[in-house]
Amino acid sequence: MTEFVDLDVRPTLRAGGEPFGEILGAVKALKPGQGLRLYTTFEPVPLFHVLGSKGFSHEAREIDGGDWEVLFTPGPGAPAEGGLPTAAATPASDGEWPAPVQEMDNRDLDPPEPMVRILAATETMAKGEVLQALLCREPIFLFPELAKRGHGWRGAFEPDGTTYKVLIRIGAAAGATA
Amino acid sequence: MIGATLSRWTMSYFAAALIALIAAEGLIAAGFGFPSAPIEAPDTLVVVHIVAIGWLSLLMCGALFQFVPVLVARPIHDNALPLPTLVCLVGGLAMLLLGFLQLAGRVAHGLPFFPAAVALLVLGFILVAWNLGRTMWAARPLTLAARFVTVGLVAFGATVALGSVFALALDGIATAGPLVDLTTFGIPIHAAAGLGGWLTLTAIGVSYRLLAMFMLAPELDRASSRGVLWLGTAALAVLIVGGIVAICHGGSLPLALSAAGLLAAASLGLYGNDILYLYRARKRRKIELNSRMAGAALISLAVCIALTVMLIALGRLGEHIGAVVFLFSFGWLTGLGLGKLYKIVAFVTWLETYGPVLGKTPTPRVQDLVVEPRAIKWFWLYFAAVYVATAALLAGAPLVVRLAAAAMLIATCGIVAQLVRTRCLLDVTDKLRLPAGVRQPQLLYATPRQT
Repeated sequence: MTEFVDLDVRPTLRAGGEPFGEILGAVKALKPGQGLRLYTTFEPVPLFHVLGSKGFSHEAREIDGGDWEVLFTPGPGAPAEGGLPTAAATPASDGEWPAPVQEMDNRDLDPPEPMVRILAATETMAKGEVLQALLCREPIFLFPELAKRGHGWRGAFEPDGTTYKVLIRIGAAAGATA
Repeated sequence: MIGATLSRWTMSYFAAALIALIAAEGLIAAGFGFPSAPIEAPDTLVVVHIVAIGWLSLLMCGALFQFVPVLVARPIHDNALPLPTLVCLVGGLAMLLLGFLQLAGRVAHGLPFFPAAVALLVLGFILVAWNLGRTMWAARPLTLAARFVTVGLVAFGATVALGSVFALALDGIATAGPLVDLTTFGIPIHAAAGLGGWLTLTAIGVSYRLLAMFMLAPELDRASSRGVLWLGTAALAVLIVGGIVAICHGGSLPLALSAAGLLAAASLGLYGNDILYLYRARKRRKIELNSRMAGAALISLAVCIALTVMLIALGRLGEHIGAVVFLFSFGWLTGLGLGKLYKIVAFVTWLETYGPVLGKTPTPRVQDLVVEPRAIKWFWLYFAAVYVATAALLAGAPLVVRLAAAAMLIATCGIVAQLVRTRCLLDVTDKLRLPAGVRQPQLLYATPRQT
């Protein structure tokens, strides 16, 4: 049973503030295995991508007065020490995501060729399928493009510290609420 | 959203910066300021600040608004703020130049140009530091490249602060003894903090990442790279703290400058070693124009250091400091800047234009936006002219310097024409230029898309 830490950012939002740092701070402070119960004034869709890429799954539901309660549950890929590492965690491939139907090794390609190939491959895949790609650096410019196209992703450096493995699930961001 | 997006106003910074570079080269060619006038003349200060603020600092700020998010894998804190920031910096520069012209008696006295320049430039700096600082703060712990940028911004702040003291003292507002002493003796600190601290340390940090990225070399975060940062930071600390203490409390300024110089030389030595390693470890055998020009710029930096050491040995550094600063500014910083601009403009334009349809329809590659063989001639002309000008400065031949500056001006215009062609997609074949769903990019700003 996952233990949840509560965070209510509604006062911050109503005061016109930006709660993103507060939320990431709370996630960073989570102990291994702990989840986050978040209260907001709207469905925080961008956050689903951010925490999803860190191995958290989420359940969002509307509560009284148009506010939202979201449960972020750590998967096996969530940071073991509760931090937000860029290079430590192995990517999640838990039961929730099927095995990749396509794998590509883009480590020796000139940028931005890896991004071009990944986006080309995603166009040929069916909703729910997973693509795995190996890269030689974090694909910074790819993520916004995946988000725009409604795909979900999880990525991290492998333990060798030089190979970045990213898993992309087609359409995962669009239908991602439970 | 995680990841980096396009910086909206970076192209405006690049355009303003290139106009300033062309203006500065035109002024030198026309015989305005050094070497036709003395190095401390107000006219020389006009040219120097057009280069340092108008060209190099605007170029660096525009590049940082695009690349700090890449260095830290976070979006920029505020993508709209760079426009008012640009207005402050350009307005502040204009006021500063008018202040210098006032000193030279070319503009009527009575208007408070220097205080206005201080207000606008300080505000511009605060906006830059706030935006980049907030972006990096959200991404702690910082990567090595981001730590270089942080130290660079501190040096930027120190340079602006010292410059403000000078401007207010020249205007007669700052009259306290130590401030007047600083204005009299502090120019080497101001210049070294700006060119060495802000521009060079930041360029080094960004170059580690960009060279690794564009040459397919491993990311460097090894002891020597950290040594470059620590030695560079120590050099800056000795320069700024030691230098100011020496001036205000009667210490030896030459001693502080020499100690800072030695630390800086050690830092640059390690950096050179790292860069050689990167070039050797690269997976991409045939390197592109931008990396070759970065190489030419790095060689200029090495020549500049060798020249400095030689002049110190001969006891003639003071006499030829103009030539050293010229080679540092135009061979190293400008050479690197123009080379990297050639790649950055192509990449950013490609991403903005074709990013939304990648994989959905055939699109050109980044290389299809440029014609390197045509561009490289202008780059070689540029570097050749810089070396001729430097030699002429050493030989005391101002007319040759002016002719060489004219050649630099022509080469720069040639490079700018290539950049405009790239931005306007003029070198992409008609078939691929504008597939369905693709819009022609604007010349001076990026239009982020929301879908």
